[in-house]
Amino acid sequence: MKFSKIALAAVAALGLGTSVQAANWLALQGTEPDNAAERAKLWGFIQPEYQVTDDTPIQAGPWAGQRALFNQQRPDLRSTGGFNILRARFGVRGQGFPLDSGVNYFLLVETGNNGITRGGGGNLKVTDASLTLNYIPGARIRVGQFKYPGAEEGLQAIHVFDYINFTTVTNQMLLERFFDGDGSDPQNPNRPNGPVGAFRDIGVQVFDIFKRGDWEHSYAFMVGNGNGITRGDNDDNKDFYAYWSSERIYAGKGARRQELKLFAWLQSGKRTLTAAGAGEYDRDRWGLGATYRKGKWRGAFEYMAGDGMIFAGSDGAAVPGSLNNAGTAVASFNMLPTAKADGWYAHVGYMATKKLELDARYDTYNRATNIAAAERKFDTFTLGAQYFFNKKARFLLNYEFRDAEAPNAPATAGPNKILGGMDDRLSAQFLIIF
Amino acid sequence: MKRLMGVALLLLAMWGQAVHAEDKPFAEKRVVLQISDSDPFKQTLVLNVASNLIKHYGRDKVDIEIVAFGPGLRLLFKENANKGRIKGLAENSGVRFSACKNTIRNMSKKLGEPVQLNGHAVPVSAGVVRILDLVAEGYTLVKP
Repeated sequence: MKFSKIALAAVAALGLGTSVQAANWLALQGTEPDNAAERAKLWGFIQPEYQVTDDTPIQAGPWAGQRALFNQQRPDLRSTGGFNILRARFGVRGQGFPLDSGVNYFLLVETGNNGITRGGGGNLKVTDASLTLNYIPGARIRVGQFKYPGAEEGLQAIHVFDYINFTTVTNQMLLERFFDGDGSDPQNPNRPNGPVGAFRDIGVQVFDIFKRGDWEHSYAFMVGNGNGITRGDNDDNKDFYAYWSSERIYAGKGARRQELKLFAWLQSGKRTLTAAGAGEYDRDRWGLGATYRKGKWRGAFEYMAGDGMIFAGSDGAAVPGSLNNAGTAVASFNMLPTAKADGWYAHVGYMATKKLELDARYDTYNRATNIAAAERKFDTFTLGAQYFFNKKARFLLNYEFRDAEAPNAPATAGPNKILGGMDDRLSAQFLIIF
Repeated sequence: MKRLMGVALLLLAMWGQAVHAEDKPFAEKRVVLQISDSDPFKQTLVLNVASNLIKHYGRDKVDIEIVAFGPGLRLLFKENANKGRIKGLAENSGVRFSACKNTIRNMSKKLGEPVQLNGHAVPVSAGVVRILDLVAEGYTLVKP
């Protein structure tokens, strides 16, 4: 009893119980300002976009001449360019009982056309449905479906993302697709069995934010199903997440607060395949990085690594479901259940005028580093610009110089011929937040 | 005995308000700001208005009292997100904060426990009465 009182006093001395609204994603998404939140605040955003590649076909292999998966527009994979409503989300958040800031909630629904709504049927999916209990000093508790504490690109609010497409390492290693098999069955396209993970899980998170002078320190631990969103678990294994960040605050507040942030994260879980390659496999990820924003400049760096359940594209880079030229097999999505991978990105942005930010990003991803024949290396350099009509509306333009290779195969080998057909990509997007 | 203590507390609160008013003998403007909305934006707005008045007229030339009642009382809850600003305005600029007792009583009933107020909040018998009294004394009522 005495210990708990001392602990509570110590925690109180750290400044807990204070309002936490900042460029701290744990706080921005999981808490509300104490006694200053609405009962139900309606909000959302819309992202219409256009993307296009050169439509270079597959250059070699059993599907030579057919459409290349990496040159198709997501999520439909039926054309190399076109208009799409990538995201259209609306939600409500606040304190259900305004007199008690001990409980707040967050609900968000996706109606756009993407991996969330395309997987598992239906055109409308709940992406976030959670409540946070703020009663224990130093240990807020968030329960439900929400973004798990992890990599910056996944954890940050997508409507303040400075680019249109994720880096390759985030897209392939972190944005989880759920499959029944590993793709080795030549007659099964092995399509996803539900929505993409969307960097979210269903479970319980303990977290809090500690202000110390100009610094803000945060931690989070979470346990979740590890089976994505809008459904229950598919096995008895749980995923575990841990996260830490320390932010030196310079000025401002909100998602674009001026600050230096250092962070690290890890997650560990298992996945169960029930079709080809059936079995239980580890899926571990970890990373560390930094973000910076001050004055006209911003930048970020993050290194990430993964062990197990590495997404490995499709057979011969063909669109899953495509019959090969010999008519003997259909292309499938593939997983490498015991592979390792790593990658990193770095990017900078400069506010050239009050309305225009110029952006540059480099990212690299090494896939299947422990399996020589399957190893692939992706390098992407992105040039971008963001024009801010106002604080809630902007236009983004990106051009991605994309390269990929099979580093352990000769330049003239099939895999390298295929990867040589990876086109650059031009993307344009409008974004409005309401 | 309880009644006696209640009367004593009320007198103490009234005396406190009177003393506060005397804190600004050179004030040329006297303003009472009303907050009674549930909209959190109004909390920021009323504090901004107070800050701007201080900035414009100077600390000693304007006498400001913020009276909170109804849903607006949340501004004066102990753990309100704006407590830092309230402290700054009260301690550095002499802004006074009044909390409606009727609202405190009703909210405590709804909450199931006594409402915890900011240390700078002074309970007044009724928010509207307090505003009427201040207006009668020459204060200008502003409801942002």
